Amino acid sequence: MKKPELLAPVGTFESLHAAIRAGADAIYFGVEQLNMRTKSTPTITIEDIAEIAKVCQQHGIKAYLTLNTVMYDHDMQLASRIIRECKTHGIDAVIASDYAIFAMCREFGMPLHISTQANVSNIESVSFFAPMADVIVLARELTIKQVAHITSEVQRRNLKGISGDLIKIEAFVHGALCMAVSGKCYMSLHEKNASANRGACVQNCRRPYKVTDLETGNELVIDDEYIMSPKDLCTIDFMDQMIEAGIDVFKIEGRSKSAEYTYVTTKCYREAIDAVLDGSYNPEKITYWLSELEKVYNRGFWGGYFMGKKLGEWSKDPGSVATEKKVYIAKCTRYFPKIKVAEFTIESGQTNTGDTLLILGRNTGADKITLTELVVNGSKGSIAKRGDKITFPFESVLRPGDKLYKMVTSDA
Amino acid sequence: MPKIIHYRNKCIGCNICYESQPEYWRLSRKDGKATLIGAKLKKETYILEIPECDVEASKTTAEHCPTKVIKVSV
Repeated sequence: MKKPELLAPVGTFESLHAAIRAGADAIYFGVEQLNMRTKSTPTITIEDIAEIAKVCQQHGIKAYLTLNTVMYDHDMQLASRIIRECKTHGIDAVIASDYAIFAMCREFGMPLHISTQANVSNIESVSFFAPMADVIVLARELTIKQVAHITSEVQRRNLKGISGDLIKIEAFVHGALCMAVSGKCYMSLHEKNASANRGACVQNCRRPYKVTDLETGNELVIDDEYIMSPKDLCTIDFMDQMIEAGIDVFKIEGRSKSAEYTYVTTKCYREAIDAVLDGSYNPEKITYWLSELEKVYNRGFWGGYFMGKKLGEWSKDPGSVATEKKVYIAKCTRYFPKIKVAEFTIESGQTNTGDTLLILGRNTGADKITLTELVVNGSKGSIAKRGDKITFPFESVLRPGDKLYKMVTSDA
Repeated sequence: MPKIIHYRNKCIGCNICYESQPEYWRLSRKDGKATLIGAKLKKETYILEIPECDVEASKTTAEHCPTKVIKVSV
C-alpha cells in the first residue's frame, strides 16, 4: 500500500507549529486577499511566506500556498508578486483554479496543484490538467469507487504531471463540507454581497430556515434540521478504504479553525494512516480517534459522499458541537532547557491534578498534556490557584508567553 | 463635513465600491485592494471629506462592502 501524504490546514503561526508537532507531512496556507479564507484568516501576509517556508524546510515538511479565489484583472500584480515570493523562498507548490494563475506558475516555473475549486470529477479532466500540474485535488462529491477508478486510470495510462512523475490525486478526508459543489456557491454573495468565491463567505447556509406556505401562511421547520448545513466530513472510520483507493494526498479542511483543531485532527489522521500501514488499524482505535475528533470544532460527522450517499446529512446545530472547550489559566514564565522543565504562572481560575491541559504558542503550536502530579511553587500539591507557579517536565522547548488552557466539558 | 472612512488593510478587493461609486473608488493594480481617491492617510485609515449630497450613495456603498471596511461619518 502506498503511504499517502497528510496535508494539514494552517491559518496562523500557532496552527503551523501545531501541524508540525502533530506529524503533518505538508501544510497549506493562504496570504492576503486571494485565498478562500480571506475573511476568516487575515493574519498571514505576503511577508510571512519566507518564515513559513523556512520553518517547513527546517522540519522537513512541504508547504503549499492557496491562490484559489476567483481572480479579477486588478488582482494580477498581487498574484504575480505572491507567486514570485513563493518561488524565491522555496514554497513547494501553489494551489489554484484560475487559468491566469496556471499561466503565471508556468511562467515562473512554480509547481502547481489544481484546486478543488476546479471541480475535477473524472479521469479526462485529470488528463487535461496533468501536463501543467503535479497534484490534482478532486471535487468533494465523488464516491470512493469513482476516486479509485481515477487513481487506477492514472496508473494504467501512466499520466504524468509537469515534473515527470505520475500525477498525484488529492482528496479531502476531514472537515467542513458545504451545500454547494466544492465551494462554487452564490448564496453568501446573493444575500450579503460577500462572495464565497473571494474568500468572504458569511456562512448563511449554516443557519436554520423556515419554509412558508404562501397560501396559508403556515411555517414549516423541516425536521428541526439545518437543511443547508451538512455535517462535517470524517473518514477516519474507513481510512483503510481511502488508502486502498490509491489517493496520494489526504487533506484536512480548516484553515480558519483553531490551532488545537489542527493539532487534534492532524494527530488522529497521522495515527490512523500509520495504523493502516502497520496493520494495527482496529475498531478500538477508531472509537478513540472519533472521541478525540469530537472534542474540537465540528458540526457532527458523516462520511461525506465517499460511501455513495447522494444527499447530505444535515447538521442539527448552528455551530460546533465540540465536546470540549478551552479555559485560559496560565502563562509560561520560564523554560529550563537542560532539565526540560516548564514553569507557568496561574493567571485565572485553577488547575487540579489530572486535568487535561492545552499549551498554545505562536512558535510552539499546540500540544496536550495530562499532569499526573502537580508541583506548585516548588512543592508537590494537588491544586494550583491564581498567582501560583506550577512546573512540569516537557520534552520540547516552550517559550515565555505561551498560554496554558484547561480543557473542560463543553456545555453545548 | 461628512466623511468616508476606509479601513484599507482588511479590504479584499471585491470591486463593489468601484461599481457603486466610481467617482470615489478605484482598484489598485499594485495590491488589488480598493483605493479611496484623494483620501488622506491617518493611522492606517484613509479619510475623505465628501459633500452632503453624496452621503446617501456612500452609505449604500458602505452597506454593500462585504468586509465592512467602509464607514460614512456625518
